[in-house]
Order: sequence, then C-alpha cells, then structure tokens
Amino acid sequence: MAKVAYYPGCALNERSSHLDRSARDATEKLGFELDELESWTCCGAVPPVSKERIMNLIAPSRILKDVRDSGRDMLITICDFCYNTLKRTNFSIRTDDIIRKRVNAFLADDTPTRTYLEEEKSPWQEYEGEVKVVHLMEYLRDELGYAVITEKLKRSLKGLKIAPYYGCVMLRPFDEIQLDNPENPTIMEDFVRALEAEPVKYPYRTECCGSYLSVSSPDASTRLCYRILSSAMKNGADAIVVSCPLCFYNLDSRQKVVLDAYPDFKTIPVFYFTQLLSLALGVGMDRQGFERHYVDVSSALEKIGNSGERDKA
Amino acid sequence: MKRIGVFVCHCGINIAGTVDVERVAREAEKMPGVAFAMDYIYMCSEPGQSLVREKIKEEKLDAVIIAACSPNLHESTFRAAAEEAGLNPWQCEIANIREQCSWIHSDRKKATEKAIKIVGTIVGKTRLNESLEPISVSITKKALVIGGGIAGIQAALDIADSGYPVILVEKDSSIGGHMAQLSETFPTLDCSQCILTPKMVSAGKHPNITLMTYSEVEEVSGYVGNFKVKIRRKATSVDWSTCTGCGLCTEKCPAKVPSEFDRGLTTRGAIYVPFPQAVPNKPVIDRDNCIYYKTGKCRLCEKVCEIGAIDFDQKDLIIEEEIGAIITATGYETLPIADLPHYGAGEVPDVIDGLAFERILSASGPTTGEVRRPSDGMIPKEVVFVQCAGSRDPERFKPYCSKICCMYTTKHALLYKHRVHDGQPYVFYIDIRTGGKGYEEFYHNAEEEEGIVYLRGKVAKIFRDGDKTVVWGTDTLTGRNIEIAADLVVLATAIVPTESTADLANKLRIQTGPNGFLSEAHPKLRPVECINAGFFIAGVGQGPKDIPETVAQASGAACKVISLFSRDHLEQDPAVAWVDEDLCSGCRTCISVCPYDAREFDEEKEIVTVNEALCEGCGSCVAACSCGATQQRNLSDSQIKSMVTASLGGE
Repeated sequence: MAKVAYYPGCALNERSSHLDRSARDATEKLGFELDELESWTCCGAVPPVSKERIMNLIAPSRILKDVRDSGRDMLITICDFCYNTLKRTNFSIRTDDIIRKRVNAFLADDTPTRTYLEEEKSPWQEYEGEVKVVHLMEYLRDELGYAVITEKLKRSLKGLKIAPYYGCVMLRPFDEIQLDNPENPTIMEDFVRALEAEPVKYPYRTECCGSYLSVSSPDASTRLCYRILSSAMKNGADAIVVSCPLCFYNLDSRQKVVLDAYPDFKTIPVFYFTQLLSLALGVGMDRQGFERHYVDVSSALEKIGNSGERDKA
Repeated sequence: MKRIGVFVCHCGINIAGTVDVERVAREAEKMPGVAFAMDYIYMCSEPGQSLVREKIKEEKLDAVIIAACSPNLHESTFRAAAEEAGLNPWQCEIANIREQCSWIHSDRKKATEKAIKIVGTIVGKTRLNESLEPISVSITKKALVIGGGIAGIQAALDIADSGYPVILVEKDSSIGGHMAQLSETFPTLDCSQCILTPKMVSAGKHPNITLMTYSEVEEVSGYVGNFKVKIRRKATSVDWSTCTGCGLCTEKCPAKVPSEFDRGLTTRGAIYVPFPQAVPNKPVIDRDNCIYYKTGKCRLCEKVCEIGAIDFDQKDLIIEEEIGAIITATGYETLPIADLPHYGAGEVPDVIDGLAFERILSASGPTTGEVRRPSDGMIPKEVVFVQCAGSRDPERFKPYCSKICCMYTTKHALLYKHRVHDGQPYVFYIDIRTGGKGYEEFYHNAEEEEGIVYLRGKVAKIFRDGDKTVVWGTDTLTGRNIEIAADLVVLATAIVPTESTADLANKLRIQTGPNGFLSEAHPKLRPVECINAGFFIAGVGQGPKDIPETVAQASGAACKVISLFSRDHLEQDPAVAWVDEDLCSGCRTCISVCPYDAREFDEEKEIVTVNEALCEGCGSCVAACSCGATQQRNLSDSQIKSMVTASLGGE
C-alpha cells in the first residue's frame, strides 16, 4: 500500500483522536496509508499571526526538514491549523531569503556538529521549502480524485443534506494557501457530492466560529456559532461537516451553551469529513467515536439508514 | 572648415545656477570649427532668437548649436530661426545641458566640465552635418473611426462636417454604445436616448460617413497619411440592401437569448435588432444561438420575410480601404459580478450592476421605467448601492478609481427615490468624488434633501437569505458593523476596457497602459494622440470618464485629424536610415530588427531598401548592419566617432 507522510498534530493525538482514526480507516479503504512521522513536535498552531518573524517558524520548519531528509516530498495534514501553519511556513521559506537563512541557522544548531565533522560528506542541507504540504481533503481532490471515492463507495449518503463549514484558516490568506477561492469555495461541496450526499449552500459557511474566543470571550463565540448553525438549518441542512478540530469543538460542544442562550435553537449533528468518508467507504459505526460528540448524530444517520448499503467490491 | 556658432542659454537660474555658462561659452570658442560663441539669459525668448538670426549673418555662420534644454522642447524653435536666417534647418543642433546636466547635478565645477563636454560632442557632430531636405509624404484624406459609441459618433460627425470622408466601424449591429442603454444623465437628468439618438441618426445619414456596423478591423499597415486597412464585415445573414426593417422576423424567432442590451433582464431572438432606435435599424442573425445553425431546422424568419432578405449562406466580407488617420474609441465594459465572489459571484439574482439598473430605470427598459427587481418583480423598498465594487482595490481587483460611479450612483439613488417614494436607498462609499460642473450641487441635494443614506465604508459580503439580499458592511464614521436586509443591491462595478482593446491595440501597434486602457502620447499636453503618428484616441477606452469629457475628447481627436488633413503633404524628418547599395550584402538582418516595418528587400538588386516615410530613425538597423552599408543621416559612423572623441577630451 502506498504510504504518504502524515503529520497528525496535537489535537488529533488527543481530543480529536476520532478524526485521526476515521482518517486512517478511510484512507486505508482508498488504498493508501497515512504514515505518521517517526517523531514530531507541536507545529505552533497560531504563531504565523504573531509579529515575531522567525521564532514561530522554527518548529514547523524542523518538521518539514525531517520529512525532506527522510526522502519524501509530500506531507499530509488534516487539522486546518496545522495545515495553515506548515503551509505558510513553507511559503515564507520559499519566498524570503532572509527568513530562509535565519531559520536554517537555527535548524543547523539543532544537529550535533560532531556528526558533520565525522562524516565525509556533510548531511546538512538547508531546508528550502521542498516539501509540498497538502490537506487530506486537497489530497483527495487533486492526487486521488473525488471520482475514485465515488467509485469505491460502499454506503451512499444519498438523501443526506450536508452543510460544509470552512472556518477561517483552511483557505486564508489566499496568496499563501491557494487551496480554493476564500470568498466562494467549492472544495467541500464537491467532496459532499462525491459521497452522493447533497451539499447545502448557506451564507455563513465561511464566517468565523469564534476560534480561540471560545476561551477568552465565550459569549462572542456562542453568538457566532448560533448564527452559523441556524443559517445552515434554515437552508435545510441535516448535518454540518467540518475539517478543523477547533471548528468541531465550537460547533458541536458549544451547542449546549447555544441552547441555553437561544431558546428557539435546535441542535444539529456535526461530523468530521473523515467520519462521513469512512462511513461511506464501509467502515463501521463503532469506529467513528460518535460517543464523543455532544450532539447525537443518529438523526442524520437515520436519513441514510441501511438503504444506501451496496455490495461493491 | 565650417564656421559654427555656439549659443549658451542661462535659462534663468535653471542652467546658470549650476553651470558656469560664461565659461562654457569661452571654452566652446576654442573648439575646432567654432567661429563664435556667446551666452544669453533666455535663448528661446524673441530677443534670444533674433540674436541667433543676427549672428548667423554677421559672423557668416554655416551651422549653429544652442546649448540649452532638451531638443524635445525647442529644437523646432531654433531650427525655424536658423532657416529664417538662411541656414538649412539640419545645420542647427541642440546641446542638452539642462535635463542632462544642470538639473541633475549640484557640484558647480563638475557640472560645468560636463556641460563643456556635452557642447564638445555636439560640435563634433555638427562639423559633419549634412544639409537635408524634409521628406514629403502625400495624405489620403479619409479617416477611420473605430467604435460607434458616443465618442466615435462625435468624432466621425466632426470630421465629416469639415468635408472629409469617414468610415465608422462598430462591432455590434448598431451604433450608440453604452450611452444608448442609459436612462437619464447626471447632473441635469436629461434622457440619455433623447440626446443621443439625433446624433446617431445624423451619423447614419451623413453623406461623408460610411457606417460599417457588425464589422471589425482586421489588419492595419502603412503609416500616417497612408494607412491600408482591412475591415471584416461579419455576415449578418440578412441582406441589408433589401431589408426594410419591418421587424417581423425578430418577432417570430422562437429562440430565446439573454439580451445584451438589457443586461440579461429580458430575452431577444436569435435574429434581432438590439434596441428599437438602432442605427442602422436592420436585424442580424446571431449564428451561435440560431436554431437553424444549431440543428439544421427552423428557417422561420425566412418564411415570414416577404421580400426574401434572409440569406443563410452569407459570408464574411473583407474590405480594403486607404486611410489617412485612425481614431480608436473602443469604450468600456464593466467588471462582471461573477468576478466578485464576496458579492455573490453573480449567483444572487437581486444583485445587479449599474448598467442593469439603468435598464430598469429606462423608460424603454424591460419594466418601462418602473423599479422592479429581477427575481420576482417586486418593487424594492430597501435598495443598497455599493460603490467601488472592484475599483480602488489594488490587492484583489483594480487599483484605479472608475471616476463616474459616485455621480451615477447618486443619480440612481435619486431616480429610485423619485419612483418609489416610500423606499429607502443606502449608498456605501469610500469617498465621494464630484469633480465636475454642477456635480457637487447634485450630490449635495441628493444627500440633504432626498433622504438618501450615505454610509462611509466598504461592503464585506452580500448573500441571499430567503427573498432578502443581505448586505454586511461597516460604517467607518461610527465604527459600527451594519447589516441591511435589502430587496435589491446595485453594484457600481469597476470600469474596464473592452475585451477587444488589447488585440486591436496590437494590430494598430498603439500602446496600452498597465490596466489595459489605451495610452496617450502625453498625459497633459497630448491627451488625444498616440505616440505613433496618425493614431488618435477618444472616450473611455483611454480611461474612465463621463459623457461631457468623452465628447470633448472626441472633438479634440477629430480636430487633430482635421488639422492633419488640412495640409496637402506631410513633412517628415529626413534624419533617417539609408543604405549604401554598393556595400549591402542583402543579408536582411536589418529587416528582422526594424520595429516599424520600414525596410524592404529589393528582389531585383538583391539589396535592402528603406521606406523613408515609415522609418523613425531609431538606429536599430545601423547597429545591426554587419557590413556598414546602413547609415543614419546626420548620425553617421564618422560623426559618432567624432562625438566619442570629443567626449573623451580628444580632438
């Protein structure tokens, strides 16, 4: 089975392990393996936003350099924050000579000098942004092709109306990420279609969920989540699909608080895209970690029922 | 040896402030060939010029050098003065000691040394100058105007009225352009069609104007006064010479195509006349959408046409014309809403652009002037107008100001309020720009008296929510975010040059700027001419502008053409390339480097010749010629050698 280097990041290792597991299950069904890096550190999550130019790029550069040094040229991530951090770090290294030199000076410090001196040929090689960072969804769209997913479906999601939620960092800033048009994206809608479900387009799909405001001013986040979720429901959605652990936390767990604050509110199930994917590819319900969701997903799953089961090899 | 006179200008303190002009004159006097030298405060003044004339006679000078400003400014002044005193004008040279010396240096000593060297090089050149005669070129006194909008119509009428024939080429089937689509015009609110159609009719009937609509310029060759132009008359599939314009075919056509003229708010047939006042009022078949051309069946128009004017087999015609001058007036389009993803990407039915709203407001429009929105025909009670939709946004869209939107949006809001008294218009703006006669008063009245709410800020997002169109924006004066659930949104989309502008500019070999608009020769002093002689520009194709400005520019361009045609011959600078027939090997390298197509291969003599009328004297061929056969008049190899020697301090 083909292997692609995989960086899970902190959330997928802990709180969102069901995102990690469903991704591994699904990709296995699709014929490739997410090959977790032997050792990895925190990517730094939000630092690209900070004013500091160099320090925040070192951890992600170290991860990328390790991938390069292991002889691979592509790295898959799933968490939107990891994706954003790694891809933007790469962008800075590729486009800014000074950043590249300074970051590499730090990376050079990491490696015990002795090993260079002892070996005839120095293994040290500057990291120049050689590794291509791809989001799993991007890999499915561009490398594998959504058509392949549709071909391998075991359980069609026909009948399910799904509202994709993009969040903030998956698409922005466009100049550096270049995944899809941040104002009018289609990558998730096309993904939903590949599962034979019906994508629901609603105006709030690219609006902010509050992100880390969940910690510092939860009320603001509650209001934003209420608007996003009710807009999706108003447009007929049975469920929301996300790719980011923080979006998931805000949109799913926060529904408890939204319910208290807005009496007219009704809950709506939230899925990771990998859960829908692995379900559709025939992986069992028991492996999806649905018990970790705040909102019961059965209302959505009933819509598919068993009618969608197919016997495809 | 030649007796050369050198005249050093102070230009007030422009030169004398940095350069010791007296010393330059003293040093010049010592140079070989210089018989006389002096300095004077303003050489270009009348006393300065008469000084040159007097000294030529008194000192029996064979040539003069004026050490002053750039030859771009006063070369012609001094050559005329020299000619008056009996010299050949090409025996007068300019040494530029202002732009290339005094203005760019501050060290007086070094600047003076440099000025002396500059004068020295020109002395070196002038010693070997030949007397030349201007090249005389005949003129075809017939103009071509490309684009039949208000700019093209105005220019064609002005030229035709002064007695010269004009060909007016328009790519659509009717002239009129965007102005025909407009409802009323700011700031006087007179009906656009009412003031335009008389001009269209005049252009259609004028004995000196040949209308070529549904036509495009295919190829242009030649030079000022003597262009050869190929025009493609696209097949209309209707014999216009017999068609009476009865309109029966357009009524019966079963095809439904979104009407370009009505900005897609209505449909037209595949055989159609774009609007009722079209000139010429003859239909064309849009073959891409015609059922017969697509399926091989139908021909309904042929059946209903009583005189048999439908001709399905008609072919494009190429017409060749000889032309003396060309005015390009290709106009504009607006940035498609589909290019604005944050404003609904064209998928929200009640988000329209300014031209569509003009059609809604127009008495001859799809709703005969009643304001009704496209989605369900409801009369909108809250309308949001968004300015700078794509303009003044260098990061994502266009960096420039589209200039007319502040005024037409104010007009839109005002007309809306006049038709829907209980409606509320909102205008989002960055700045309100009302530079124009009566414009500020017009805006002031709209804001103070008519109850239009102006909100200073940009709109972030527009989306559909039920039957409402929600607008999110910021009022930067109060610092608050604003959400309006509107019934209709009108975007003042950025003005862009027409799609064909770049292609046409290539064919004509005229320049365009960074945003694709046609470039003028000088932004202030030559606003209607192109750098290439014989080409002129008018209208929005050159940059966003309103109707009065467009008309003024068109008349300006026409005036330039008329002044060109008022002469019998054109005189061109003879300081161009020539070929020594004995030396030319016929290798043709020069043909490939010539940017002006001025070189031709003479098959009989097997050498290359120069078309002097086309040659601009750029010198590319001289540099490329491997056997020294090509030389430039008054800039020969020996002259350049002499100049280099002088500049290095030798003699």
